[in-house]
Amino acid sequence: MMEAVTSDGLVAEGISLSFGGLHVLNDVSMTLQPGVVTGLIGPNGAGKTSLFNCLTGLYHGQRGRSSFAGTPLNGLGPAQRAACGITRSFQNLAMCPDLSLLENVLVGLTLKRRSGWFSAFVPTQAQRAEQQDAERRAMAALNELGIASVAHEKPSDLPPGTLRLGEIARAIACEPRAILLDEPAAGLNAVETRDLMRALKRLMRPDLVLLVVEHDMDLIMELCEQIYVLNFGKMIASGTPAEIRAHPDVIRVYLGDDADD
Amino acid sequence: MSARGAHVDVVRLLMLALVAILLLAPLLAGGFLLYSLSLCFANTLAVLSVSMLVRYGGEVSIGHSFFVALGAYAVAIIEHRFGLSIVVSLPLAVLLGAGAGFVFAFPSRRLSGIYLAVATMALALALPEILIGFEKFTGGFEGLYIAQDLLPGMPKALQRYYVALAVLVLVCLALAHFRKSAQGLALLMAQAQPRAAEAMGITRSWARISIFTLSAALAALAGALTGFASSTVSPNSFTFFSGVFLLVGSVVSLNRLSLPAALVGGAFITLVPTYLAQAGDWVPILYGVALVVVTLVANAGDLRRFLPRGMRR
Repeated sequence: MMEAVTSDGLVAEGISLSFGGLHVLNDVSMTLQPGVVTGLIGPNGAGKTSLFNCLTGLYHGQRGRSSFAGTPLNGLGPAQRAACGITRSFQNLAMCPDLSLLENVLVGLTLKRRSGWFSAFVPTQAQRAEQQDAERRAMAALNELGIASVAHEKPSDLPPGTLRLGEIARAIACEPRAILLDEPAAGLNAVETRDLMRALKRLMRPDLVLLVVEHDMDLIMELCEQIYVLNFGKMIASGTPAEIRAHPDVIRVYLGDDADD
Repeated sequence: MSARGAHVDVVRLLMLALVAILLLAPLLAGGFLLYSLSLCFANTLAVLSVSMLVRYGGEVSIGHSFFVALGAYAVAIIEHRFGLSIVVSLPLAVLLGAGAGFVFAFPSRRLSGIYLAVATMALALALPEILIGFEKFTGGFEGLYIAQDLLPGMPKALQRYYVALAVLVLVCLALAHFRKSAQGLALLMAQAQPRAAEAMGITRSWARISIFTLSAALAALAGALTGFASSTVSPNSFTFFSGVFLLVGSVVSLNRLSLPAALVGGAFITLVPTYLAQAGDWVPILYGVALVVVTLVANAGDLRRFLPRGMRR
């Protein structure tokens, strides 16, 4: 019997998930290598978001296991996985409307912040220094995505493209080891999508695990080096963009059965 | 950016002016008005404790009078049993409130909305029975007196007024600081986007337990000052309806945590009933009318939709 694959990356093995009698994921495996932009595609209802939620701990598969850099993740909830260095974005924008963009990004640093309850109410020297340090890091993240100029605006005054970049800024502010993005281009126009793609390419580092879930084929083909294709809860193909483009099952799923006629 | 800066300066100046007026008020007002104002400051703190729960937790409590009473009786009992003044009992009351808040919040950390509100109602309902039942400590129906001074040599009425005012201003400053703190931001995020907050390591139960504990501690502080400002505690001041009135005060202040807004809420539940009292049987009706009017005026921003179409902007 073979031992579980230990790897630096985020690994999911044989994940099965069902809600009642509905099988959403069926024995799905994937490996996200650090330094490689990985894409997950599939038609609507293929189970992309369900798999994504299994990786982030929102759902727990009935079968299978997952690990990150060799540490098993089974049984850990979203907050505990965040503590392991895994962050995510949401398909629907998840900004707090009462907070400015900068403050929204600051929340992403919560796990890194060390000031206690006393200094939450009473200003102290140490707290001020810590606050400035956190703000500097949040600004650096906004800067990296090119939206530092609107740091003090409220989310309601900003276009969706900027907010999407803001969410990614929030995800990278805490210097995570894995970033999982759920349909980052949803609701963006062509220009905003291009900006987003450029920002994502700039983010890539050799030690970073980056997963992008999308149904926008063009974006995935251009951005990702490794692509997984999900259909009806099964992983039907994986490989480089060129391999995926030529894969008969993928062509059938995306173009329909009569594509060969 | 400069427009924002100028706006902040104006707000700050108005705030300072308000504090200055309140500081000088005892020169003009005296006797009953001064006493009412002292109580009003203490009640404003209690309103703030409810508003804090609404703002940061998104939850409603109708039982916060329980924690207010806890603070007030802590001050009275510590003076009676150990002869210690509020220098000692005030911090103890706050700790006691935080402890009681935690003990309540932990088992109810999965409750929210109407279910949590009903659970807090249990506290408000049990309160009068507890106060009367533990007569040995609480003095039963008659209650207890609080006689010790905080600042020797200063007239009693002025002490009550200035101590309550000072604590109120300090609490407002602390709340303004809290809004920018890591914990404050985390709580606001947990309330607005619980799933996103969870993905950033902020769990829902942490948020619920923390905000309830903080809010209960503030309510107990308010209670300690209510006791000090009125020099007496008795079951009459902590009925089931006290908790409801705190919520009314919070609604009237639009759940805001700034000094002027909270003062409006505090004044509404302190001064309006006092000055309406001459109306006898009409009190509940007039109070109801006043409540409707104040809520409508306070929400004037939303009232534009009642205007004819042409006049809306």
